[in-house]
Amino acid sequence: MRRARRIGTLTLLVFGPAFTVFAGIWRHASPTGLNALIQRANTGDTIVVEGTVTEGTIWIDRTITLLGGRAAVIDGGGEGDAVSITADDVVVRGFSIRGARHSNLDDMAGIKVNDCRGAVIASNTFEQCFFAIYLSGADDATVQSNTVHGSVAEPDRMANGIHLWKCARARIAGNRVHHQRDGIYLEFVTDSRILGNHTWSNERYGLHFMFSHRDSYEGNRFEGNGAGVAVMFSKEIEMIRNEFRSNLGGSAYGLLLKEINDAHIHGNMFDGNTVGMLLDGCNRASIVDNDLRGNGWAVKLFANSTATVFERNTFSGNTFDMTTNGDLVLTTLRGNYWDRYRGYDLDRDGRGDVPYRPLSIFALVAERMPYAMVLARSLMVNLLDQGERIVPTFTPAALLDGSPLMKPPHG
Amino acid sequence: MWKVCKYTLLDLARNRFAIGYALLLLVTSSGLFMLEADDTKALITLSQVVLALTPLLALVFTIIWHFNQLEFTVLLAVQPLRRESILRAQYIAVSTALSGSFVLGVGLPVLAWAPGPVAWTLLLTGIGLTLVFCALGLWIAVWQRDRAKAVGIGLVTWVGLVLLYDTLLLWIMFTFSDRPIEPLIVPLAALNPIDLSRIIIMLRIDLAALLGYTGAVYERFFGSIGGAAVSATALALWMAIPFLLATRSFVRKDL
Repeated sequence: MRRARRIGTLTLLVFGPAFTVFAGIWRHASPTGLNALIQRANTGDTIVVEGTVTEGTIWIDRTITLLGGRAAVIDGGGEGDAVSITADDVVVRGFSIRGARHSNLDDMAGIKVNDCRGAVIASNTFEQCFFAIYLSGADDATVQSNTVHGSVAEPDRMANGIHLWKCARARIAGNRVHHQRDGIYLEFVTDSRILGNHTWSNERYGLHFMFSHRDSYEGNRFEGNGAGVAVMFSKEIEMIRNEFRSNLGGSAYGLLLKEINDAHIHGNMFDGNTVGMLLDGCNRASIVDNDLRGNGWAVKLFANSTATVFERNTFSGNTFDMTTNGDLVLTTLRGNYWDRYRGYDLDRDGRGDVPYRPLSIFALVAERMPYAMVLARSLMVNLLDQGERIVPTFTPAALLDGSPLMKPPHG
Repeated sequence: MWKVCKYTLLDLARNRFAIGYALLLLVTSSGLFMLEADDTKALITLSQVVLALTPLLALVFTIIWHFNQLEFTVLLAVQPLRRESILRAQYIAVSTALSGSFVLGVGLPVLAWAPGPVAWTLLLTGIGLTLVFCALGLWIAVWQRDRAKAVGIGLVTWVGLVLLYDTLLLWIMFTFSDRPIEPLIVPLAALNPIDLSRIIIMLRIDLAALLGYTGAVYERFFGSIGGAAVSATALALWMAIPFLLATRSFVRKDL
């Protein structure tokens, strides 16, 4: 029915002063009047916008496609949201969006999507928006290839780059976010895919999610964020081939896992973080094929984590490989590569014949007295660690890798 | 003075021990880089070797060399030369020779295999340690009359600075862990030239971990230009004070 109407109107050409109607495709090139045009548009129409629009919030309350043409800018003027979407299947693509109001009481955003389905927000650039993209109660949404530039000068005044609240089946792919509060924030978001995003230099977390179940994260890159990435109170999360780099500071973690059940963490790279992974109340996680290099603490494992398996991971060039805070260890380590391992492999099956104990006594000392770090890598500390490895008395005897790999599993 | 320095240096260039030292370092460091695929790991191991070996060899070599050289030194002392300038010439010669061996033995392989900030830091701290322990060795040698005793004191000094000092520091940390001793620890560690060098190297390698807790302290103390100046000054003092003491006792000594 809709298709027929579109073809029918194709022959009808109207040339107006400010805009041209072209078969359900509208062209708008004026600073004002976009809201009025949207009110005149029918379901399924496309509006191509050129130049800067400065009429405050743009309200999209019907299913239309808003395309950014030449130099398309929507400037919210700092009054409220720049764009507000309340209808299903709306597409907003190819704009430069700015001027969402900073507010500690209201959540003002570059594009806000409220209680509707199937929104597509793609290839937009956001500058100095409080929130950039804010989805609330929006199912089946797609957020793709957007770039969010936060405030380099005042990142502490910014809110989250991409913010999802109570959404299902979202797809967030190929976005770039920097200098916001959290790069990507998800709360109560289920069955969603987060792919190939890049967040860096955000004030708090590059990616932050809570109470979000059955989501998968693949091929994302999180770099130099104030506190790294936090994953809290979530079930059945997949984290595959992500990169966590250079998250440095007293409370910065490559990946902070808190109260996580049944996570799959495979093939990720943790490079140069103060803490690579922190596992706090992490149950039945499978942590396989990850690469942990040059971190301060590669893994901090709290004793309240149970039935977690570390397998075929590479630990190399970390100041400490693993620390824990209790004697009870309910975690399995098998077949990982540890660059500090000094054992031998007489039967030549590629696995060392003596177990490796990743917890050094000096790590325990540094845990109790952080300032003892001045002695790291000194001859005395090396001797202490060697002695403890031969006769473990202070470190939990159960924390060991019974079959450490002789070579890194991935070259 | 420069003439004495020049001939001493020419003599040292033919010294079998100095050449052997350079070769030993060269073999160790190139061997490490060839055996270890990961260059950073090789650098870490090498830095530990350098931190332990350089002070030991600089100390022992300077002491033994001083006693071997003693007759020539007496001969120089009867010439119309100031004793200060004789000792200064000898210090410059021996520390240049050992630093040269170090640069040859460690510097070349490190810059060939893993050039970068860590390599340069390792090189500079290694040279700094050589200068410091040459001065210490010279002081011990001039102050003692007996060669065996001097070597013994040298060894004890080395063990003290490389091992006992850290043990003492750890003991202080444990004993006073319920008191606010945190601000004292870094300056205390920096009093020991080997610890100071280790921390300077560590700031390049283990920055991620150091930023964890004591980040602020380290950053303030060593990270800034002022901190670099402080650590350079500390090493310079470790060179200057033993050397001045050596000069004092050399001037007064009955040769």
